[in-house]
Amino acid sequence: MSGRLLGPNDARGELTPDFCVVGSGAGGSMAAAVLAQAGARVLLLEEGGHHTRREFNMEESWAYPTLYQEHGNRATEDLSIMILQGRAVGGGTTVNWTSSFRTPPATLERWASHHGVELDGAALAPHFAAVEERLNIKEGNPDDVNRNNQKLWDGARKLGWKPELIRRSVKGCARLGYCGMGCPLDAKQSALITYVPDAIAAGADLLPDCRVARLEGGARVSAVHGELLDASRDRPTGQALVVRPRRGVVLAAGAINTPALLLRSKLGLGSGLVGRRTFLHPTVPIMALFEEPVEAFYGAPQSVSCHHFSDRGAKIGYFLETPPVHPMLAAIAFPGFGATHRRFAERLAHTQSTIALLVDGHHDDPGGLVRVDGTGRTKVTYPFGPDLQEAGVDAIKSMARVLLAAGAVEVVTLHEEPLVIKKEGDLAQIDRAPFGPLRHTLFSAHQMGGCPMGRDPKRSVVDSRGRHHEVENLWITDGSVFPTGLGVNPQLSIYGHARLFAQAIAKSG
Amino acid sequence: MTVPRRGFLKKGILGGALLLIGGGAGLALRSTRLGKPPRKPLRLLAAGEHAVLAAIAARVVPGDGAPPAWPSAEAVDCAGKIDALLALAHPAVGEDFKRLLGLFENGLTGLFIHRSPTPFTQLAPSDQDARLEAWRRSRLTLLRSGYQALVRLVHATYFSSPEVYPVLGYPGPPGVPT
Repeated sequence: MSGRLLGPNDARGELTPDFCVVGSGAGGSMAAAVLAQAGARVLLLEEGGHHTRREFNMEESWAYPTLYQEHGNRATEDLSIMILQGRAVGGGTTVNWTSSFRTPPATLERWASHHGVELDGAALAPHFAAVEERLNIKEGNPDDVNRNNQKLWDGARKLGWKPELIRRSVKGCARLGYCGMGCPLDAKQSALITYVPDAIAAGADLLPDCRVARLEGGARVSAVHGELLDASRDRPTGQALVVRPRRGVVLAAGAINTPALLLRSKLGLGSGLVGRRTFLHPTVPIMALFEEPVEAFYGAPQSVSCHHFSDRGAKIGYFLETPPVHPMLAAIAFPGFGATHRRFAERLAHTQSTIALLVDGHHDDPGGLVRVDGTGRTKVTYPFGPDLQEAGVDAIKSMARVLLAAGAVEVVTLHEEPLVIKKEGDLAQIDRAPFGPLRHTLFSAHQMGGCPMGRDPKRSVVDSRGRHHEVENLWITDGSVFPTGLGVNPQLSIYGHARLFAQAIAKSG
Repeated sequence: MTVPRRGFLKKGILGGALLLIGGGAGLALRSTRLGKPPRKPLRLLAAGEHAVLAAIAARVVPGDGAPPAWPSAEAVDCAGKIDALLALAHPAVGEDFKRLLGLFENGLTGLFIHRSPTPFTQLAPSDQDARLEAWRRSRLTLLRSGYQALVRLVHATYFSSPEVYPVLGYPGPPGVPT
């Protein structure tokens, strides 16, 4: 029997499903679908709203406050890294840019050798294949490449850096360019239109606008305590929710909110690792100006990547992709104010942007820290050490080179005091410019870690099937289980791991 | 788009000192020049705080020498939109933002940071820019964070307003194929 979309009247008294799944993004929707299909009664809770394609108006002023964590304002505590993270039914998949990569073999090998993870590519392969089938992830399509991505392709080809076409989770994509604001065509195969409806069809109930405040329990979770939200004000309505799941709880609130929920609940913290080793793929953007219009606000936002610098040996690696260049997202990346800033903005249509994503956690860099303050608010700090700074500076030089090779009239860096690069000889300036937090624009679109998986309960929070080492009926199926940054965009890794974990939960829970 | 975290002004001795001389928003805003009243009833900010924010926004966008086609911050109602956005945030974020506005406006803070004792709203435009620059270039992370919070919110609300799109060469969202 099909499940339902629940409202406040359905959430009175104590609810007693078999499983309570917290979060409806890639990890939670998959867990809910697999468990419901296995015959379990599932309640899927989502803090964000249930928004559908007719609301997706492609306006940043609506999309970021409505579909992103902290109304688009999430950031590290010093505001140095802006954190783009979804908060809606479908989670990050409702707003991601559709890029789909399997977890790289080198990353899986490192997890096995350094972090005691008992998983390999062969175990994950059928799960990735199933997700690719469901989300229509096919080979990269050259027709997806807009002018913004074409510049990265052209420059990287000229330099021999082997750009690749990105596989995308789309069906019938019109290449409008607004994946990050919710797809108005339902062409993006987000969890919102795939695994969430699959879960409901298999009997799961979905309750949006419900914030989980804490878990109650010790060796077992006995209750999930939540509060319903008035979406128009984003304030509690005063109605509390109590769920007493018969078989277990699956956390999939994302790699910042999942550790924060455990910390707030003071549950399962024996390893001392909850909230530690948080990885963000710290992302360094750059701008380049071209004679002809680039119109990087239109077209599939991300279709080309370059992994030439992913493995730099003893140094931190990075990979190159592109973001869409919409007015607000670009304007908050441009440095300065007044006339200085306006000179960036007025050339928006001619602006190309490339980003370098630093592959954190594969070296000695410790990652960030998620904690909860006295008011219950979640804080993220992220130390940006010399090794990350070296990688960031090297990435800026690589991006400048690739864009000069692609024919940019000038490349403009996003240091607080921007540098203008017109020729190879100008690159030396980059080494001398102050770089680091609040000296250069930085953001994150990928959040990972904080509840790492592994064999040893002293060195990990969950086992290699997502089960908490200390709390027997608690599992985690989101990106917080990853022991390092992935080195690729995370959605397919999260879906694949969640599918494998959920099948194990269905048998053992 | 970023707003300050709680504890923003409490980091270290210097943060504490700034908070002391900031003296709380009410005291700091006693001499604030109010300017034009808010267009809509305010949801979070007091009238004085709105005035400080509107004065900041007027220097941040569109900048001196802008062609007439560029709307003013006031025409786009940046301050009103920021007020509405922050009303949705965690109450502690709103309180921090109010405190930040008080600190930015405060003459004693101005004296301490760039040797000008005049409240921000009473400064000449070039001196207002100098105060923004002083925060932007400060050696103190605290002040650079505060600058980013103020300026990013102004940029976010201004550049996400459709009336600004034409001057950017941005035609706006395309039609959705049926």
